[in-house]
Amino acid sequence: MDKLTALLPATPLLSAFLITLLADGSRRRIARLSVGFSALTFLLAAASLALYVVEREPQWVSFNSGWGSLYLDPLTSVMALMVAGISFVVHVYSVRYMAEEPGYARFYILLDLMSAAILLMVAAGDLVTLLVAWHLVGVLLYFLLGHDAARPAAQRYAFWTFFTYRLGDLPLVLAAVLLYQAYGTLALPTLFERIASAPQAPTVLGLPLPTLVALLVALGAFARSAQFPLHTWLPYTMEGPTPVSALMHAGVVNAGGFIINRFAPVFVHAGGVLHLVFAVGLVTAILGSILMLTQNDIKKSLGYSTMGQMGFMFVECGVGAFSLAIYHLIAHGLFKGTLFLGAGSVIGNARKHDGVPHDDVYTFVVERKPVASRLPWVVAAVITVVVPFVVLGLSRWLVGGNFVGEQGAIILLFFGWVTGAQLLFATYRLRVDSPWRLMAMIILSLVIVVAGYTLIERGFDLFLYPDRVLSGQIYAAASIPLATFEVLVAILTAAIVVGWLVTYYAAANGRAGGRKASPLRLALYSLITREFYVADVYAWLTQATLGLSRRLNVWLRWV
Amino acid sequence: MTLLLIAALFLPLFPLSFVFNGALAQLRHPAARSALLLLWPQIGVGLLQFAPQPVPQYFVPWALLTAGVYALRLLTVRDMGRWAGFVATSGLALAWALASGGPDIADLHLFAFWFSVPPALMALLAAPLTRRFGAAYAGLQGGLMGCLPRMSGVLAVTVLAAVATPPFPGFFALLRLLRALDWAGAVGGLAIWLVWGWAGTKLLQGFIFGADHAHSVRDIGRASTLAYTGVLGAFVAAGLYLTGGGL
Repeated sequence: MDKLTALLPATPLLSAFLITLLADGSRRRIARLSVGFSALTFLLAAASLALYVVEREPQWVSFNSGWGSLYLDPLTSVMALMVAGISFVVHVYSVRYMAEEPGYARFYILLDLMSAAILLMVAAGDLVTLLVAWHLVGVLLYFLLGHDAARPAAQRYAFWTFFTYRLGDLPLVLAAVLLYQAYGTLALPTLFERIASAPQAPTVLGLPLPTLVALLVALGAFARSAQFPLHTWLPYTMEGPTPVSALMHAGVVNAGGFIINRFAPVFVHAGGVLHLVFAVGLVTAILGSILMLTQNDIKKSLGYSTMGQMGFMFVECGVGAFSLAIYHLIAHGLFKGTLFLGAGSVIGNARKHDGVPHDDVYTFVVERKPVASRLPWVVAAVITVVVPFVVLGLSRWLVGGNFVGEQGAIILLFFGWVTGAQLLFATYRLRVDSPWRLMAMIILSLVIVVAGYTLIERGFDLFLYPDRVLSGQIYAAASIPLATFEVLVAILTAAIVVGWLVTYYAAANGRAGGRKASPLRLALYSLITREFYVADVYAWLTQATLGLSRRLNVWLRWV
Repeated sequence: MTLLLIAALFLPLFPLSFVFNGALAQLRHPAARSALLLLWPQIGVGLLQFAPQPVPQYFVPWALLTAGVYALRLLTVRDMGRWAGFVATSGLALAWALASGGPDIADLHLFAFWFSVPPALMALLAAPLTRRFGAAYAGLQGGLMGCLPRMSGVLAVTVLAAVATPPFPGFFALLRLLRALDWAGAVGGLAIWLVWGWAGTKLLQGFIFGADHAHSVRDIGRASTLAYTGVLGAFVAAGLYLTGGGL
C-alpha cells in the first residue's frame, strides 16, 4: 500500500518529464502519453482506496529523515481518487479542446504537474511536504490560467489568483513554523498525537497554540476556497482554458475544505475558530448566490455558483460536519466539472434555440394543449413548509437516532429544509396540466434524494472518521450555549414558516416583482452588479503600492 | 562594530546597499555581474565570523526593513539586471536576521548562496536578451513565450527560484529563518516573501506573456538550455539535500 501511495504523485510527474523530452513530437503522441499516465494514476488511486478499505490501517511513509513523507488515511484515499478521476476526465477532454491551441505540450506538462502537486498535497504526511505541494498548486495554476500568453485578461486574472493564493500561503507557513517550534515534529500523525496529549500547553500572544494555528489554517483555507472577501479571483479565472476552469472549480478550489479536515485534530480545540468559519462561510454562501443571480455570462455565473458552494462547504465545517464538507466537495466537484465541460454545448444550443417558453394562448391555440394550472397557494405553502421538514427529520432520525443533541446536524437540517422548500416553491410556480401529479412526483424524488443522501453521508462519515470520539469532539467544539441555540432555532423556524407563507401569498396574488423599483432597491442592485466594490478596493490598494514603489525608486536613484 | 558595518556593505543593509547595487550597475559583462552576485555576499559572511561581538538584536529590524524596501522597489523595476540586484539585496539582507540568532557560519554561507544563485543566473540570462532586443527590459518586447520558448521556460523557472518558490532552496532557507525569528519578525519575513512573488509575476508578465512581435528572433540553443536546466536542477537537489526542509 505504501508503494501505491508513493506512485500516486510520481506517475503524473513521470508523465510530465516524458512529455518534456518529447516536446517536439506529434500532438497525438503527447496526448496519448499524458492521457495514458492519467488513466494509470486513476487506477492507482482506486487501488489505493480499495486496499485501504481492506486493511483499514492508516500508513505513514517517509523517504527522508526530516520531510518528504506521505500519509495514507481515509481522507487521502478518498481525495486522491476524486482528484485523479477529475484529472483524467480533464485530460481526455483537453485532447480535442486544446488541439488548435499553441503550446500543446506545455499545457499537458503543466496539467500533469498540477495533478502531481494536488496528489502530493492530499497525501502529504508532514508539514513541509504539505507546504511545498500547497504552494506549488498556486504556482502551477498561475501558468495554466495564463496558458494563452497573448490575452492580457488571462494574465491579469492569473496574477490575481496567484497573489490571493500566496496571501493565503502566509498563514499556513506561519502555522507550520509555530507547530514545529511548539511540538518539535514535522510528521502529521505524531504532531496530532502530541497536540491531543497537551492541547493547551503552549501559548502564543496569550492564545493557546491550537486556537492560533486553527485560525491561521482557516485563513489559508479562506483564500484557497474563495471565501469573502478573498473571492474576487474566482469568477474571473474563466479567462483560462475551459479544461483548466473545470479542474480548478472541481478540484483545486476545494483545497480549503481538505485542509480543515486534515487539521481536524487541531480544530477540536478551537471552537471559536469554527464559529468564525461558519460565519465567513455563511456570508460567502449568501453573497456568492446573490452575485450568481445577477450574471449574464454562463461561466462567470458558474464561478459565483462555486463561490456559494464553497461557502456552504465552510458552513458545514463550521458546524462540525467535517465529513459532510468532504462529501459536499466531492459532489460539487463532479457536478461543477460536468457543467464546465458542458458549458460550450449549452452556449451552442442557446444560439440555435432561444429557450423562451410559449405563453398560454400559444399553447392552447397552436399546440392544442389544455390551459395549465397550479395548486391552491395555501395547500402548496403548507406542503412546502411541512414536507421537507418531515422528510429530513425522519431520514436523519432513521440513520442517526440522537441527532437532536447535535447542533451541527440541526443547522444542516435547516439548510436542507430551506433547499427543499425552494424546490417545492419552484414546482408550485410551474403551470402544468396536472399540478397534483407533478407535486407528488417531486415529493417522491425529494424523499429518495434526501434518504439516499443521508444514508450515504452517514456511511461516508463512518469511513472518514472511524474514530467516533474525534467526530464527537468536533461537533462539541462547534457547539454554542444551548439556550442561545434554542432561541436561534425558534427565530429561524418562525422566519422560514412566515417567510414562505408571505412568499406564496405574494406569488398567488401577483404581487411579486410587480412593484416599481425603489431607489434603495436600485442602489442595492448597483452594489451587487459592482460586486460590492471589493475588486475596486483591491485595485486601489494595488495602485497605491505600485505608486509608493515608483516614488521610492525615484528618490533612491534606482540603486 | 566597525567590522559589522563593513560586513553590511557585503551583506547589503540599507543604505550601505547602494555600494553593492552601484557596483552591479557599473559592471557591463554578464559573467562579472554574476560573479559579483555570487562572491560579494560570501565575503560579508566571511567577515562576520571575525566580528568580535555577536550581531546585535537591532540588526534584525534593520535587515527586515532593508529586505522590505528592496522588495517593494522590485515591483516597479523593469530592467532585468537591476531586478536581479534588488532581489539579491532583499534576500541577502535577511541573512542578518538569521545571523542575530548565532547560527553556524556554514549555515550563513549556505543561506547567502541560496539567495545569490538565482540572481546570478538572471544576470547571465539578461545577456542573450540584450543581444537580441538591445535591452533586457520587461515590457519592451513581451510575448517571448511564443518566439523564444526555451528562453522563456528557463527565465520563468529562474525567476521562481529567485522569489523563493518551493522546491527551490530559497523557500527552505526562508523557513529556517522564520523559525529563528520572533512572531513579529516572522510576519514581516512572510510579507516580504509575498511581495517577491508579486514582483516575480510582474517581471514575467513583462517578458514572457503578451502578444508575440518578434517572430524572426532565434531562441537560445539546446546546449544553453540544458546548461541552465542542469544548474537549476543541481540547485534544487543541493537545496533538498542540504537544507533538510528548513524546519
